[in-house]
Formats: sequence, C-alpha cells, structure tokens
Amino acid sequence: MSIADIEPQSEMHGGTPGHHESPEKVDARQRVGIWLFIGADVVTVAALLFTYLYLRGVDTAGHWMSMVGFPGHLHTYSEWENLYNNGTLGNPKPVYVGVLSAGLQWLTAALTVVSAGVLWFGEKSLRATKNAKAFSPFAIVAMVLTLVGVVVCAIQLGDIPQIFVGANDSITMSYTTYDSAMMAIIGSTLGHLVLLAFLGLGLAIRSARGVISGDKWYQVRLVRYFWVWVAISAVVSTLITTTINTVH
Amino acid sequence: MATSSGKRSLKTFYYSWGILTVVGVLLAIWIPKRYMPHMMSNDGNLSVTTMILFSVLAAPVAAGVYAAAIHVLRHDRYKGDGVPPAAEQVRENTKLTVTWLTVSAVLTVFVLVWGLGALAAENSSSGNPLVVDVTGQQWVWTFAYPGTHVVSNELIVPDHREVEFRVTSVDVTHGFWVVNFGVQVDANPGTITTIHTTPDKLGTIEVRCEQFCGLNHAFMDAVGHVVTPSQFSAWLASQPARA
Amino acid sequence: MTTTLEHTETSAEPRGGGLARYQNFGTAVVAGVIFAWIGWFIARKLFWSSSDNFSDQVATMTAVGWMIGFWIGIGAFNAPFRWLLGNDNSRDDDLYYAGYKQGRARYWKYTTDHKVVGVQYIIVTMSLLGVGGILAMAIRTELIVPGTHFVNQQVYNSFIAIHGMVMILALIVAVAGPWGNFVMPIMVGARDMAFPRLNALSLWTLVSAAVLLVTVLAVGGLPVGWVVLGTIADQAGVGMDFFAMAIVVFTVSTTVASINLITTVITMRTKGMTLDRLPIFVWGTIITAVLALYAFPFFFVAELNQLLDRTASTSFYIAAGGGTSWLQANLFWLMGHPEVYVILIPAVAALFEISSTMARKPLFSYRTAVGAMVALSGLSALVWAHHMFTSGWAPTLGGPFMVTTELISIPTGIFFLVLVGTLWRGNVWMKLPTIWMFGFIFNFIIGGVTGIYLSDVPLDEQLHGTMFVTAHFHYIFVGSVLFGAIAALAYWFPKVTGRYLDERMGRYSFWLVFIGVQITFGAMFLSGLKGMPRRDASYSLAFEHTNFISTLGAYIIMSGMLVLLGAVITSWRRGEPSGPNPWHANTLEWQVPTPVPLENFLEEPVITQDPYHYGEELVGQ
Repeated sequence: MSIADIEPQSEMHGGTPGHHESPEKVDARQRVGIWLFIGADVVTVAALLFTYLYLRGVDTAGHWMSMVGFPGHLHTYSEWENLYNNGTLGNPKPVYVGVLSAGLQWLTAALTVVSAGVLWFGEKSLRATKNAKAFSPFAIVAMVLTLVGVVVCAIQLGDIPQIFVGANDSITMSYTTYDSAMMAIIGSTLGHLVLLAFLGLGLAIRSARGVISGDKWYQVRLVRYFWVWVAISAVVSTLITTTINTVH
Repeated sequence: MATSSGKRSLKTFYYSWGILTVVGVLLAIWIPKRYMPHMMSNDGNLSVTTMILFSVLAAPVAAGVYAAAIHVLRHDRYKGDGVPPAAEQVRENTKLTVTWLTVSAVLTVFVLVWGLGALAAENSSSGNPLVVDVTGQQWVWTFAYPGTHVVSNELIVPDHREVEFRVTSVDVTHGFWVVNFGVQVDANPGTITTIHTTPDKLGTIEVRCEQFCGLNHAFMDAVGHVVTPSQFSAWLASQPARA
Repeated sequence: MTTTLEHTETSAEPRGGGLARYQNFGTAVVAGVIFAWIGWFIARKLFWSSSDNFSDQVATMTAVGWMIGFWIGIGAFNAPFRWLLGNDNSRDDDLYYAGYKQGRARYWKYTTDHKVVGVQYIIVTMSLLGVGGILAMAIRTELIVPGTHFVNQQVYNSFIAIHGMVMILALIVAVAGPWGNFVMPIMVGARDMAFPRLNALSLWTLVSAAVLLVTVLAVGGLPVGWVVLGTIADQAGVGMDFFAMAIVVFTVSTTVASINLITTVITMRTKGMTLDRLPIFVWGTIITAVLALYAFPFFFVAELNQLLDRTASTSFYIAAGGGTSWLQANLFWLMGHPEVYVILIPAVAALFEISSTMARKPLFSYRTAVGAMVALSGLSALVWAHHMFTSGWAPTLGGPFMVTTELISIPTGIFFLVLVGTLWRGNVWMKLPTIWMFGFIFNFIIGGVTGIYLSDVPLDEQLHGTMFVTAHFHYIFVGSVLFGAIAALAYWFPKVTGRYLDERMGRYSFWLVFIGVQITFGAMFLSGLKGMPRRDASYSLAFEHTNFISTLGAYIIMSGMLVLLGAVITSWRRGEPSGPNPWHANTLEWQVPTPVPLENFLEEPVITQDPYHYGEELVGQ
C-alpha cells in the first residue's frame, strides 16, 4: 500500500474545521493564532523602532538630519528628467532636513485609533443586539477611516525631502538616516492600514451576508484584536518619533 | 559520573575516561603551540595561553562524555534478535543532575572570570601608545603615522611600546587583523574603531583582512616588521613625505 | 458517530475545491513567471532609467511579481478572497484541500493535510541540501590547492554565500518541517494542525523563496558573504535584490509555520495529554517555534532596509548617508543567533525521543531536558553580539555578551546528560537512528567546546573570521544537526512509507559521512588556527596541506550522502516492510496504522500517562 492511497476513515472531532466543531472551540484556537501573529508583528515594529533609535544614536558623520547636497521633492519622471538633463547643481551645501510634520503623524495615529474604536463599538452592539446586518456599517466606517489613513501616509511619504548631489549625467539621490527610518516606519503603517482596510471590508461583506451572525460574532473580535494592536503601534511609534528626533 | 548502583563494573568507563583525558590534555598542550602563528605581542601570547587552558579544561569533560558513550556501546548494546526488552525504568537521578549542573557552572564561572580578566587586562592602556592610522580600501591596507608625514603599505612598529591602531575604511567593511599580535578589529566607513597591543618580539608580521570585502578579499594582505625603537625612528625619518 | 463518510462508496472523484481543482505546482511556476515578467515590464515603465537604483528597482519588482504569481498559481489567495466575500469552505472543499481522493497528485498541490506537507518538506529539504551540497563540493574543489583554478574569484565568492544561505534554509526546516508537520500533530492526538491552510502556505512560500534564492546564481550571484553585511551588500548586483526578497518571503513562511505549530500544541492536545505527559519532541517543537516567531522578524526588517537602500536610496547601511553596517549586523544577528537554536533544538528533541525508544528506557530527567531547551532559547536572545566582538561597534559590551554566551554552555551541557543518561544501562537497540545519534554525541562535543573558545573575547580576536569559526559551525550544522536530522529520518521513515530505511546502506553512509566530517572539519580547525581567513578564494602556501586534506574529506562526505540518497530512493518503494510500529515505541504516531489515514485517529485517544514507560501496557490501542 502506498502513501498515495489514503482515505479518510473517521469523523473524529467532527472533521475539518468549521464543521461539527463548536464555535467556542474554533474561536479559542483562532484567538491563540491571532495573538501569536500580533506577537510577531510586535517584534517587527520593535525592529523598525530599533532601527530608528540606533541610527539616531550612532549619527554617523552627523548625517541623522543633515547632509551635503540639494534638497528636492521630485515625484514625476519629467521632473527627474529635467533635473538630470539640465541640472547644474553647482556647489552642494549642507542641508538640514528637520523633523517631518508631527501633525500628520498624529492624524494617522488618530485615524487608526478612531477606526479601532468604531469597530469595537460595532462589535459590542453586535454582541448585544445579535444583529449582524447592523454591524456592517461599522465595519465600512472603520475601513473608510483606514483608507483615509493610507492617503495621509502617502502624503507624508511624498513630503520626505530627497537630497541630490552631482550634475548632469551623474546625479545621485539620497535620504538622511532620519528620513530613511521615517520612510520605513510610515511605510509600515501604510501597509498595516491596507491590511486593516481589507479586513474591514471582509467583515462588512460577511456580516451583510449573514456569515457573521449573532452567534458567530467572535470573528469580529479576532479582527478587533489585531486592529487595536495596529492602533497601539501607530500611537507608540508616533510618540517616539515626535519626541525623540533631533540630535543636538 | 556516579550511578545509582555499584552492582556492575564501571571499569570501561573509568579507563576510557582516564585515557581520553590524558590524550586530550596532551593534544591541548601540543596543538595550539604547533599550529597557531608565531605570536609577537602580549595579546597574541594570551590567545595561545587561553587556547591551551580552555582545551585542557575541556579535555576531561569531553572525555567523560565519550567514556560514557563507550561504556554504553560496550556494555549496554542489545545483542539479541528482535525487539529489546524494557530496561530499568530510571527517570531521574537528582544527585547526578545537580552534580553535573554544579560542575558545568563552576567551569563556566572559571572560564568567565578568566575571560573577563583577560579582557580587562587587554583594555587597559599604558596611556602613551604609538598611534597608527590604518585605512582599509578595496583591496589594500595603508598605514599612516600621525605626527609625521609617513604613509606606508608596510606596517612597521617598534618593540615593547604599546601601539594603538585607529582603523577606518573608505569603502566597505574590512577586517584589520595582525595575525602575530592576536588582535583584530573591523574597518568601517565613516567611523574609527580602535584596538591596541604591545609587541614583545622582533620579526616579521602579517596583516590579513578577515571580513569579506569583495572580489580580492583573499589577497588583501600586508606585511610588516617589529623593529627596535632606534630602527623605527630611522625608518620614519627615511620615508618620503606623502600628502 | 459515523465512522465512514456517506459518499465514500458512491463516487471515485473528489468533490468541492473550486478553483483549487486547477491549481498545482505547475500552474504556480507558470503564474510566477508570468507575473515576474509583468513586474519587470511595469518596473521598466514606472521607474526612472537614469537613476542608479533602476536595475535594483526592476529586479525587486520582478521578484515581487514572481512571489505574487506563485501564490496566485498555487492557490494561496483562494482562502483570503473567499473569506473577504463570505464564501467559506464547505466540508467538500475542506476534504478536497486535504487531498481526499487525489492520490499522488495531492503532493503537487496546496494540500492542507499535515502528512502531505510533511512529505513535501522532506523533498524540499533534500533538494536544498542537494543544491547546497553541490556548491560545497565546488567550494572544496576550488580550495584543493592554492590559487584560483576551478572557478574564478567572483564565482567562488558567490558560491560561498549561496551555499551558506541554502544550507541554512535547509537546516532550519530539516527536522521541524518534515517531522514537526507529519509527526507532531499525531503525537499530541490531533487530527491535523491548528490551521491546516497555513501548513500549505508555509511550505509553498518556502518553495517560492528557495527558487528565488537559487535563481540568484543566474543573475550575477551574490559575492558578499551569506551574512550580507550592509556595506558590501550594497555593492552587489541584482542578485542581492533577489536574495533580500527571498529572505523577506522566507520569514513569512517561518512566522506562519511557527504560529501553526504553537497553536497546535496549545489548543489541540487530546484528552489527558497534560503538559507533563507531552512527548519531548513536542516540547522541542513548540520551544523552537516560539523562538523563531521572535527571531525572524529581525531578519525581515534587516533585508527590508537593505532593499530600501538599494531601490529607494535610503541610507540605513550607507555611511555616506549617515547609516552604518552595524545596524544591519545587529538586526541580522538578533535573528541569527536564535536561528541557530531554531536549527539545533528540533534535532536534539528528535534525538531525545529516539534515545528513549532505542534504549527501552524513559527519557532521563524529562523536566531538566525541557528546562534546558527553554533556558537555551531564552538565553539565545541575549547573546547575539558575540558575532560582533571584533566589529568595533561597542567595545564595552564585549564583557556582558561574553557572560551571556558562556552561560549558554550550561543548558547545552544538559543535552549530553539527558542523552547519555537515557542510554546508560538501557538495552540499546543498535539500529540506524541510534548509530547516527552516537555520531551526534561525538561531533556535538567538539562543536560545542570550540564555541566556548570563540565566546572568549580576547581569543576571539585571534580566531574571528578564520576557518576555525567555519569548522566550529560545520561541526554543529553538519556533524550535529545533520546527523540528528538523518537519525530522525531513519526513525520516522517507516511511519511515512511503511518500510525501513535500508540498514546496510544507511550504515555505509554513516561511516563515510562520519569519517569525512572528522577529516574535513578537523583539518579545517587547523587551517583556522594557523591563520587562514574565511571566505578566501585562494590562500597562501602555509595552508595548503590542511586544505588538501579538507577537500579529500569533503569528497568522502559527498559519497556518504550519495549513498544515503540511494538508500532513501530505493527504500521508499522497495524497502523491507516495517509494520506500523517497528520500534515498539509508545508515542501516539506509532499507535496509528501506516499509511496514516486522513485525520489520523478513528477515535479520539485518551492519555493516562506519558510515553516513557516500557514493559507496561501500551496506551490507546
């Protein structure tokens, strides 16, 4: 007999997940899973913040927030082409980039927190009223808020100043280490918000279709755990980057 | 290692342990001296001594484990056909475990104290070292002597005077290693790293790159000499001034 | 409770599955290539060709395209999108995904059955070992005499980095992949892993990352050393982008696998399986998974930063911009040191299991064994900078990291106590797994002791960056972990195939590999003591004798591994039949039939004692 010919012989535990297994059991298992996933994400965010703080601490050649060159904000190919073909950058000067907008950073964090709050509130109503269809709008609102957050992150990324050195055919671009680290942190927030938007949309559709029901509301809670973590990480990283930034 | 009952002979174990320990100690004393480079500084001597000491300490431990394995292979192998019957159902031997933990902790502490002491001795500086600026670049070492205009691709240092190497790189990370001095430190772009040592023998020294740095990493060597102080001054004076 | 399914007799065709009916490894590769081309095409249109990041941007987008396409083609996105739309899997869908009624085809698909995934991991591990082994032989052949004759320096420098990373990947999964997946759920009395779809995801993600890693050889290689130190890595060609993407994706695979393993052990143990009745291999698995969950995100961020440096001109590791390779080194080794214990612990835990069964005795000092593995993992998170003693990054931290590193020798020593204590006064059954275990004991002493030398900072200042380090970790990876992995293979082979791994060929292989290891890496210690740096394509005459001997030894290892490969291939189909419990062991996987049925158990087993009792009634059957 070969290992290829294996047929199921049992309905032990009611078979594969979701069938004949009590929702509480499935939920307990999935909760452990989501906590572990959050754990891995905590380490990831910690590594990003470590990167930020380490680079600031080392401040190699004093380049944390300053560099020698020309600042710019090129976003289109024609702008780049223009610089590349016609740019005579002349003598580079020391540039001090300064901190990125704390207001936009806090706005992103606030959007994440409020969307988490909306979701949590919706979850509470769902548990109380057992009305899954009424939950759907909460998920939609939460999703819209995260999408606004994505836009704010994109604006922040666009604000990060580039430093150019060189002339004509050999222009190179660089970022200070502060801006590099901020790019990574804001980019990570953006990525997390996109994931949240996906999850929010899924919850909205699932509750509208009745897959999430008054009894099977725990799926919302699982997503909420992760959502709240993302909100916390947004607040924590904003706190750090808005208070620990300049070197001198 | 003690066992719970003395009913069977542990001769194989003890004889093996004894023989292997003797062999191990002999190897421990011979191999480092035979194979390690000719050391010409205090740190180099320390590395050989440490190598020997740690090996001598490790010999009875390794020998003990091997002796136990040999004893098992000699006496506990099941020689029949089919499935061996169950053996005695011993799950713990608290005395043995505690002894083992204690011995390994004591050895660890000893090794640690030795290491921390050696580290402290190494880090202490005489206060008036000769400074040599070392620059690594793909794939060449350059040595400069601050206070003079001397820049050289050969490392010349005087005997019996602490030398402090200030190491940097102009491109990627290199590893500055003076093989006969037992010291090394990475050469990083944008920063200066430092090590120091005191040469104590005259002769030829070799510098190798020990941090992978690209295509010709394998050929990034330099040579040098430890010379007498007067020879050193003469050499400095004879070098052409370079910008 | 029904014991057979209603539709077993009525149809020969599997039902359900949806899109998955058409998806397999072939469609995954095709889709991967197509999307890689799309990524390449979009990148060339989107990015600025005069920028010096252009080639890296194109390469990265190509690699991203490959990953996305592969995942689409294998069916990894099916479940998330069905979740999004509220179309959860039906019972038929779940059965289809589990490989029901698909015969051999299920091994080529996104199959959720943990036993299928276990076998897939065996194949992937062997493939990675094969690729890494070929590269090893190329390296040793080059080093047989001084000078560069066989391959040029650039190729050699690339081979050593790819050899290193491929082997690391292979060893990370070598025991935890096949046996953590195949055996562990059965050992705890579960019907599958906690998240069966994550089984398949972690395996196929590994495959896509491995393909990308090996492709590096074709796009200019990776002549930067496997630790891809930030400064030199920045100089490398587009191979580095493929490498970094492979790593970024690989860490997803390990994170997903860790979540799955941990949740399975926590939530899916059967009735009566309390923590003190847990087989030691399961302890090893969950401890490893927790450590991996902690460690691999650092690697993810390390390589993400590298990709940003190369594609977006950031300055994480570029000194001219204010960055430092020390950041990369810290992030890398924050992962890298726990990683070697992620590699080691499953092999040791498997050997613990084997020692008890083969000695017909309980595991010696079960709680101490568990405690040692926990202590080892915990400490391993605190020692990472011992890889950076000579980097100059923080001279004052040399002392503290020396302390934590040397403390690790205490739990490591316990492993010997447990192994030898289990064998002592046993009735030791000298079968293939046992023999490889004795080889482990011999080699691990040498590997472990030489690690202590390196942990002494002053001595490390002489030995760091030499072949002494290389010999040390090869005694651990090849001499110890690989021996443990082969012992595990010989031990559980009958459970997977119903046949013994050929005893005679296995013994020939053992002696060849064992002797080869002593010759190759024993001589390598001497090369290092004499002062030969590592990663050298050529070396001075002083090192020619020891290198020549090392190369001879490598060929001996190679012949041994080829014999082993032959043994695996011939035994799989024509080996001596073993029955369901050839070793008369007590853990649950041996109490189920071979081949193991879908969902493993007819009735939920009830556990009343731990599996380390012999000469008493077996539990459960």
